[in-house]
Amino acid sequence: MARWRVGVDSGGTFTDVCLFDEEDGRVEVWKVSSTPDDPSRGIAQGVEEGMRRVAPESGDRPGASVAYFGHGTTVATNALIQHRGVRTGLVTTDGFRDLLEIGRQKRPDLYDMQADKPPTLVPRDLRQEVPERVRYTGEIDTPLDEAKMRAAARALKAADVKAIAVSFLYGFIRPEHEKRAVDILREEHPDAFICAGHEIAPEFREYERLSTVVLNAYLGPVMRRYIERLTPRLQGLGMTATPHLTQSNGGVIGFAAAADMPVRTVLSGPSTGVVGAQAIGTLAGFDELITFDMGGTSTDVALLQGGQCKMTSEAVVHGYPIKAPMLDIHTVGAGGGSIAYVDAGGLLKVGPRSCGADPGPVCYARGNEEPATTDANVVLQTLNPDYLLGGRMAVRQDLAREAIGRLAETLGLGVMETAQGILSVVTANMARAIRVISIQRGHDPRDYTLMAFGGAGPLHAARLAKELEMKRVLVPRNPGILCAMGLLLTDLRADFAATKLLPATEDSVTEVADSFASLTARAEDWFAQEHIEAAARRLTRTADMRYAGQNYELAVPLPDGPVTAATMHALTSGFADLHRQRYGFVADGEPVQLVTLRLEATGLVRKAELKSYPDAGPDANGAVIGQRQVWFPEAGDFVATPIYSRDALLPGNRFAGPAIVEQMDTTTVVPPGMKARVDAYLNLILEVTA
Amino acid sequence: MSSALQPSSAPVLDPITVEVIGAALSSIVEETGEALIRASYSTNIKERRDCSTALFNAAGHTLCQAEHIPIHLGSFIGIVPHIMKLHDLAEMKPGDVFVGNDAYEGGGTHLPDIVLAEPIFVDGAIAAWTVNLAHHSDFADRGHAHIYQEGLRIPPVRLYRAGQLQKDVQELILLNCQVPRERLSDLRAQMAANRVGVQRFQALCAKYGTTTVLAAGEALLDYAERKMRAGIAAMPDGTWRFEDVFDNPEITTNLPLAVDVTIARDSMTLHFESPDQLRAGLNMTYTALLATAYYVVKSVVDPTILPNAGLARPITVTARSGSVLNCAHPAAVNGRVQTCQRVSDLILGALAQAVPDRVTACSNSTCTVATFIGQRKDNGAIWVYLETMGGGGGARASKDGLDGVHVHVTNTSNLPVEALELEYPLTLLRYELVAESGGVGEFRGGMGLRRVYRADEDCRVRVDVSRLRSQSWGLLGGGPGGNGHVECGPGVTFDRDNAVLKAGQWFAVVSPGAGGYGPPEKRDPKAIQRDLAEGVIGTDTATTIYKA
Repeated sequence: MARWRVGVDSGGTFTDVCLFDEEDGRVEVWKVSSTPDDPSRGIAQGVEEGMRRVAPESGDRPGASVAYFGHGTTVATNALIQHRGVRTGLVTTDGFRDLLEIGRQKRPDLYDMQADKPPTLVPRDLRQEVPERVRYTGEIDTPLDEAKMRAAARALKAADVKAIAVSFLYGFIRPEHEKRAVDILREEHPDAFICAGHEIAPEFREYERLSTVVLNAYLGPVMRRYIERLTPRLQGLGMTATPHLTQSNGGVIGFAAAADMPVRTVLSGPSTGVVGAQAIGTLAGFDELITFDMGGTSTDVALLQGGQCKMTSEAVVHGYPIKAPMLDIHTVGAGGGSIAYVDAGGLLKVGPRSCGADPGPVCYARGNEEPATTDANVVLQTLNPDYLLGGRMAVRQDLAREAIGRLAETLGLGVMETAQGILSVVTANMARAIRVISIQRGHDPRDYTLMAFGGAGPLHAARLAKELEMKRVLVPRNPGILCAMGLLLTDLRADFAATKLLPATEDSVTEVADSFASLTARAEDWFAQEHIEAAARRLTRTADMRYAGQNYELAVPLPDGPVTAATMHALTSGFADLHRQRYGFVADGEPVQLVTLRLEATGLVRKAELKSYPDAGPDANGAVIGQRQVWFPEAGDFVATPIYSRDALLPGNRFAGPAIVEQMDTTTVVPPGMKARVDAYLNLILEVTA
Repeated sequence: MSSALQPSSAPVLDPITVEVIGAALSSIVEETGEALIRASYSTNIKERRDCSTALFNAAGHTLCQAEHIPIHLGSFIGIVPHIMKLHDLAEMKPGDVFVGNDAYEGGGTHLPDIVLAEPIFVDGAIAAWTVNLAHHSDFADRGHAHIYQEGLRIPPVRLYRAGQLQKDVQELILLNCQVPRERLSDLRAQMAANRVGVQRFQALCAKYGTTTVLAAGEALLDYAERKMRAGIAAMPDGTWRFEDVFDNPEITTNLPLAVDVTIARDSMTLHFESPDQLRAGLNMTYTALLATAYYVVKSVVDPTILPNAGLARPITVTARSGSVLNCAHPAAVNGRVQTCQRVSDLILGALAQAVPDRVTACSNSTCTVATFIGQRKDNGAIWVYLETMGGGGGARASKDGLDGVHVHVTNTSNLPVEALELEYPLTLLRYELVAESGGVGEFRGGMGLRRVYRADEDCRVRVDVSRLRSQSWGLLGGGPGGNGHVECGPGVTFDRDNAVLKAGQWFAVVSPGAGGYGPPEKRDPKAIQRDLAEGVIGTDTATTIYKA
């Protein structure tokens, strides 16, 4: 009965639902407008409508047929970008409240004297200092002054903060002061979201830990409120499956864990897209990929080498350092909803302001009068000038044209030139984002295939590829819902770590074995909590190691089996190999240390299997559903352009640009000079005509 | 056997190839920098990142410098020409690595900055150089009457010959260092960094062809020059003079400094005046002066200009030889970064008259340094801990200055407290912004920092700080920044520039604040209220100066 695996990606503009039938491998997609004031409404609506279509037999309990529910969200990211977290207080060790502002004392830009740091999330008057001091050895130098701690808690409550972060020096070595502080805060301010450094990022380096725990507090109530609204709505649909949320590392966790650790979900949405792209790219035979996920409000790009996206354990996200495992994804605040305007210097600019889903672009006729990128596409007729979303949403081209006309007047240009100008500016902005992850890291984009997805990716991909001289664009079968699809290709994953400075010698066998035993116990608890069957459980152990004296570690995998003297020898020789490979030398005789022991717990899920289809020959005429005038800059005019239905295109079909391919969740532009073909998995592959 | 490859019959390149290769060169120097930091042992490199990496062409011109520490360029631009002067190019072989630090015979700017330079061979000829510099925190507790007191002088000599370590050279260096284990490990990390540089550059040549890479390198120098010229040409022509003084615990009088900046169409000339060189470690070599001037001019003219030798072509820098700002052998130079910082603000003061919107008011105008030295109780080994502190950033034409940051020619990180206390017998008691230290104004100057240390074992501390007797100036009606100073706990005496600390005693260093911009009466009342609520200013300042 419950046989549907459901993935939901909730973006700033649309909520995408991907439904996969565990029994026959069928994949269905559904898309509804997001409801930014309360995203859970749009999600429930999307799940309800989607399930009613595929499982009408469930009647008024459409959620009852859901066997698995995975969800990616931009709630935390958006709150961070727009600085819409809650009023947050901070408690630090006496003498260190300003550390949050000072950071590593480096300026934001080496040469630009006008550059600013991102705003400090807790103002100075909400940062309380409390006498206490733990030494690096774990000894207590100064006991926690409980009276002052209580006074600090009361002051923060009086200041009406909604969340409080606690971060003491060495809290990760001996957490009892932090724990006691949290207890006192809970007593004094039971309604606040409270978290401490030892829970969120129990690792060395006080500033990065502080930044992570402050962000977690700042976002905590936002995420909690979100989950508290979504859970009953899903239950109301009759869903009994445990809901899951994607983390920035591309793995998923349960809602409860996500509510406590929102800082681990800041890349939730985009990471599922990367996971989806990875799976589809590998299947299609392309594993050197640059992903281009352009949605309504933001765009995410990532680089996959050998089919893999690099993982980082610490990154700076929107200006704030975060210590958490994350895929290496670069985000820019621009998408289909980005608003075009003329700046003070008389230049045409697009974004970062967005019209969002409501009121949406001018052509939605919901009251917005400032033209967005989507309006430019409607005027150029690269987008259907009458309706979007496969006919479900009517659009008003006349309104879009008027709005762009006003801009054109200010610029002293024609309407069509202005509309095309908006797209050129967008393309240049996107190219800059891709340069950050490719050229700036030494990768030539010309060696990669551009994988375009998100509602607006395929619309802009060919132009972008041209700008970067990339020869090939891959548009997956369901580009608008690739993130949602990625959710059905993702394993459950949790990371456990213990920082413990130990010599990498036989003397440490007992301690290492004990540490892994307690990490394993935590992982087993987590497996049980997530209802993961024994056969689907996987544990991977690694040790971060370094020469005593270094401060950066190399992650060395542990051999399977119990920890013995042989394990320690395997670790030291593994470390030596890695060190030689990375730095070209081995410091013989120098003592080696174990720093952090890590356990990665994976719960394997049954993944959606993508089907391949037989070749139907090159003739694509059967998929032509009409023709319209589309404005192409190559012609400087409207060109009669065939319109293909993506649903009717079959494997082996070939056609040449100019052409437009329409489907419910996106529109693909094939400009003059490019040709398109359909592969066995129904991916559309655009290539530059030789 | 070798000869330097010259990009003679340069192919004409499309702009995308030039851009891709330029970005690849940037990513090579960033990657070599990461290798250096990650493999190193000393806190000054592994956490504070007091190091830089660069690529040079065969002629010794900077192709690309990593975004680390601008003053390090002063050592880079000197070393390759010195190597070529002292060693026969034809005798160089793959795997030769030169080490050097000397301010007069090695192109350096002060002795702790040890440079490793390695020629990159492609097809049997030198195509480029990979060069890196690490500030070894050693040579501590020295005199500074002349350079012979300041540490071991190393002219560029081979540390590796065709890949073979020259153990005798290494032993000679290490015996002259106070913390030899750290020096050895950091030198190894510097070797690791150069190895990455060599491999990546060779791979780049294999991919695009050596002539293309070298031609792109030349095109990038021309491009930086074009951008610099266009930027200067957009500024008004004229000559602007600015004067300030420099003070420091090492000297008892204030030194007068002046600059005349002349903009003539698309070029700029900077002429500096300063007293005769000092018997103190505050003198600047000419390359340090160049690196400082290039940094400031690039920042004001166009911060996006590529950091290569092309940007220097339209800029002429002069100063009398034998003066503080262009010193000659045997002047001491250890604390030259203090002076470089003051010179940076001096140039800004002159340019403020030409382009007031692009500059900042005077920043904290120094690089506050505390150097601790002691002997371990357990094994008698000497330990040296050096740290630099940020201070106020000057207020801008439309916004407040940055609080507690490194400015101008330096940009090192602080050392995490959790690393400091693990490595040294010191406890950091407080680390905070200093209230009232930002100059008043429509836009407030940045605040200075205060660090309070407790010695857990007997040790000695030396402090470089400035603005003790002068203040960082405000612009267009903005007020001056707060002074720099030291604070001594009970039983501690600060004598000239250092103090002896017994276990359990405390000592504090305060870095200067920065100048404000515009008259304080024009400050937004909401900003004044916020400063009051946050304790950035007191009620006195709010009522008497801001009339709030």
